[in-house]
Amino acid sequence: MAPLEPSLASNLFSIGAERLALLGKHHKALMQGYLDGHIDETAFSEAALKKLIAARILWRPDEQQPLALRPLVSELIASMVADENRRQINADVAEKLEQIRNRVQAYRDAQFKGDYSVAELQLQRLTEHVHDLSGQFEEAIDSLWHRLNSDFGFVSSLDDKIRENERAQKQLRRLLDGLDLLDFNELIELSEGNNHLRKLLVSQLQNQLSSHHSSLLEVQKRLVQLLAKFRQQQARSMLIANMAAFLRQHPKYQPADYPNRSELPTLFNQAAAIRPQAAIALDKASERAVLAELVRALPRPSSIELPEQHSASFAELMVDEEIAARQQALKTDVENFYLRVIDQGGKLSALEYLAQQKLDWDSEIWLYQILAEYQALPLEEKRMFGILRDEAPASNVNQLLLIRDIQIALKAA
Amino acid sequence: MLQHGPLLERLLAGDFICQISDEDGYRHLSDEQTQQEINHYLRPLNRRLVSNDDGSVFYLGYHELSKEAREHLSSQFALTVQSLLPLLEWLQLVQETLGRDSALTAGDTIKLQEFVLRTEDNQSLRQRLNALASDRFFNSQSEQLDSQVKLIFRRLKEHGYLLQPHSERQYYIVTGKIDHLLDVIRFIRDEEQLPVDDTPSQEALL
Repeated sequence: MAPLEPSLASNLFSIGAERLALLGKHHKALMQGYLDGHIDETAFSEAALKKLIAARILWRPDEQQPLALRPLVSELIASMVADENRRQINADVAEKLEQIRNRVQAYRDAQFKGDYSVAELQLQRLTEHVHDLSGQFEEAIDSLWHRLNSDFGFVSSLDDKIRENERAQKQLRRLLDGLDLLDFNELIELSEGNNHLRKLLVSQLQNQLSSHHSSLLEVQKRLVQLLAKFRQQQARSMLIANMAAFLRQHPKYQPADYPNRSELPTLFNQAAAIRPQAAIALDKASERAVLAELVRALPRPSSIELPEQHSASFAELMVDEEIAARQQALKTDVENFYLRVIDQGGKLSALEYLAQQKLDWDSEIWLYQILAEYQALPLEEKRMFGILRDEAPASNVNQLLLIRDIQIALKAA
Repeated sequence: MLQHGPLLERLLAGDFICQISDEDGYRHLSDEQTQQEINHYLRPLNRRLVSNDDGSVFYLGYHELSKEAREHLSSQFALTVQSLLPLLEWLQLVQETLGRDSALTAGDTIKLQEFVLRTEDNQSLRQRLNALASDRFFNSQSEQLDSQVKLIFRRLKEHGYLLQPHSERQYYIVTGKIDHLLDVIRFIRDEEQLPVDDTPSQEALL
């Protein structure tokens, strides 16, 4: 330690050590106080409270208020645990610079007088100030990065994040302004003719500060980007909420007919799907084996008898040829529907198919014919299809089930 | 062109290609040279590559607007308009249910089970979900929360808004098609000068 007056120094040492020990002794209760914002006085004995107050660890901000941690202690904890909600950034450079100037002056005076032990002490203090100045930026930059990298996750709402981001940007501007206060010409002048000072104030400090400067600019860039992202997110949320509200208020709302404008907005130019299909090339001898394999894999109907006859007899009874023709057309459409089910492999809704193909059968007749066709299938083929009725009771009191739609699905063979 | 076969097939089938739905494909499509090649290839099919304003999603549009093309686009547009409110309500519901601080964006993950659990115990969320599920767009006939949610997510997957990385695992990733939806909404709003704000009022800023 510096050769201060020995008695004062040892006094400082013992008081400091004792008070630091107080922090450790009551660590849990104090930390709880940090989290709650005030101290639970019942957790301490009367004597302990007195000691903590005397040590300037606790204080009572107001007569009515409970005891709380002193701001400096809170700050210390916030910095130790990187609690960005409470961490403080100190951007005050002017004060530190003033101290550095004074110390340099005191150091030079002492040297001039030949009082080397004092000079040594002043140099020691000066070194501390220089480190403090650099450490202050380091701490601030660390805090800024921490906040950035957590996407300001320590506050929950987007609005809060935007506010926090803006606060961080203001801090950053103050830090940059602080850096601007440092005039290296002045520092070079201050250290003129002294190696110690030149090393401390010029090479070391300048190096550190220029790296801080570039860090700060990088943080600034990222903060601005992040703020833009937050704003974009906010705009999205608002657009969604407000548009939904608008559409709810205007259920019959219909926008203009964009697809038929002469200048079609590209957003609405979504072409119909084309599904490339391919078949075996019969003209390629090399593929015959594959073809034969496929044919063999086809499910073989046990009887060649076609199911048509069951309902065909119905048609035959019809004298009117026109009705018979319509009946035949309906049957053909229904068969096509079944073929589609087989082609597609999944399940297919009868009514959707009807609408899709723009067939003009009455939906009830359509469903009836699909059921009829299904019933008319031979048992083995019937097993190939799954039939799913979409039905609902006729009314609350009538349990009669009305079929609304039918889905036919191809079952795995 | 050969190496883009599967990508072309997806595009032709009407898929939206974004960074989430097909990372490689998206990278290829972002390349101007490839875009030209694909457009050249698609020309006889009367198709061309289209992207949204910020180029986050690609799909196929018509090269020439024939009568058939216009007809298809009209019916497509009618469906889009019909689907706006249910999709917006779904977006809001997910945001509120999962307690997120911002709207869903491409790349966000939704766990179906978490969504169900949070809806289950909340009467008002439950009611909103019920109303949403029975909307024509989702068309659920079920009264069961679980199957309603499953149906809603399945429909959104079919429409390309969600991606399910593992068919047996119930979690979904939001695709870039949601950007297209928001672009459409923004377009309609601007075009029709609807009183729909997306910037916070001056008061909120201060």
